[in-house]
Amino acid sequence: MPKTTRRALSLMFGATLFAPAAIAQDAPDFAAPVRLMAGDKFLGHRRGFPSPVFHDIDGDGLRDLVIGDLPGRLTVARRLPGDGPARFGPETKLLGADGKNLDFANW
Amino acid sequence: MSPQFVDFDADGKLDIVAGIFDGSPHLSRGTDKGFGAPEQILDRDGRRIVLDQFWNFDTKKWDRATRKAGEPLQLGGGHATSAIAWDWDGDGDLDLLLGDHASDHVYLRRNEGTAQVPAFGKDNEELQAGGAPLLVPGTVATLRVLDWNGDGKPDLLASGMGDAFQDGPGGGVYVFLNTGDATTVLGAPITLVPRSTKSDDQPTRPDAGLYADAFDLDGDGDLDLVVGGYSHWTPKGAALDEAQQQRVAVLQVAIATQEARLQQLQAEVVAAHDKARVGLDEEQANKKYSELYKARQPERSEIQKQLQAGKAELDSLVPAVRRESFVWYYENLAGRTAR
Repeated sequence: MPKTTRRALSLMFGATLFAPAAIAQDAPDFAAPVRLMAGDKFLGHRRGFPSPVFHDIDGDGLRDLVIGDLPGRLTVARRLPGDGPARFGPETKLLGADGKNLDFANW
Repeated sequence: MSPQFVDFDADGKLDIVAGIFDGSPHLSRGTDKGFGAPEQILDRDGRRIVLDQFWNFDTKKWDRATRKAGEPLQLGGGHATSAIAWDWDGDGDLDLLLGDHASDHVYLRRNEGTAQVPAFGKDNEELQAGGAPLLVPGTVATLRVLDWNGDGKPDLLASGMGDAFQDGPGGGVYVFLNTGDATTVLGAPITLVPRSTKSDDQPTRPDAGLYADAFDLDGDGDLDLVVGGYSHWTPKGAALDEAQQQRVAVLQVAIATQEARLQQLQAEVVAAHDKARVGLDEEQANKKYSELYKARQPERSEIQKQLQAGKAELDSLVPAVRRESFVWYYENLAGRTAR
């Protein structure tokens, strides 16, 4: 793929599409999964079908985690700066342009 | 709902695309002041985009439609609770992929407009992978577009719902690699996280309702996974003496009796309503049902109270299945091994 096309697609998908990745054609080995923390609580704990997506919500260059759920609400756990294993701050509600909770539960 | 941050209308601002429980994809537009109120993404004729089943806002009931290309096509109920925008056909604008919560299938709505002014077709096209229908075992929970193998082509990451409430098989995570050039051609699925058998005595993984995303979280050059979902586990119980075993048997009978009584009570409410609703319009019939239901509430509450106490005591002797949601991190070891 030409570099110009690659750059255009990266912009389209908010630079999430073309993250550096080792070549993988088969299933890789994963370490045993661990529960992520948001502050001192489990991330997404007791949310209805928590759905995480990586996104730099505050433009600090660190990929945060945005969590959607079944009722259609969104929270953000900001990635904390620093070396070592990734750490995330407490979940906060994602607000819309009107200053209210961004809410997809309009049904 | 499974959010995707993407510049949906090519205006240079990231928007949020998400399928939600009502069965249609939604859009929250990015503005200079933040994200706008979510709206439905409509097709070129201004109609809701659905697979088959959807929540009808006018009648406030579940409804059905048939909007599909070709016959016969098994939609399996067709409930699109997940959606992502992806330039599937390589024409420079974003199409929509719809994941079916009611089956294992994924469908395509082509953008027949432009990148700036999308106009989605009226038909759902069934996606293929490896020369066969693309299937996400356990029904589709979420879809992600990302370059899994670093070849510069967008691949599809998908995760499955599985049995999120009972003891059936759980969900897994899969990647479908893209081998196409001008347009997308997906290969057979590679299993990243196998389906769960829910056999653990403590939370060890997301077992059902798996919602995945991938990113190089530890910076070692490969893509790691984060997976939201429900863990199902059954704690080990202590060995029971004879008296405790007898108590368990008594409690099990009592619980079964109380649950049957609750069902009986509800059946009596429905039967009474069937008689009372004759000649009533829908609003009057609903009101009558509420009256009949409330009239039995004291009895219902007493049974539920006993049931709750019995289950708590039984759980102290024979632990029941636990079900709680978390978000899990799967560290990809490929990068660590390569160093």
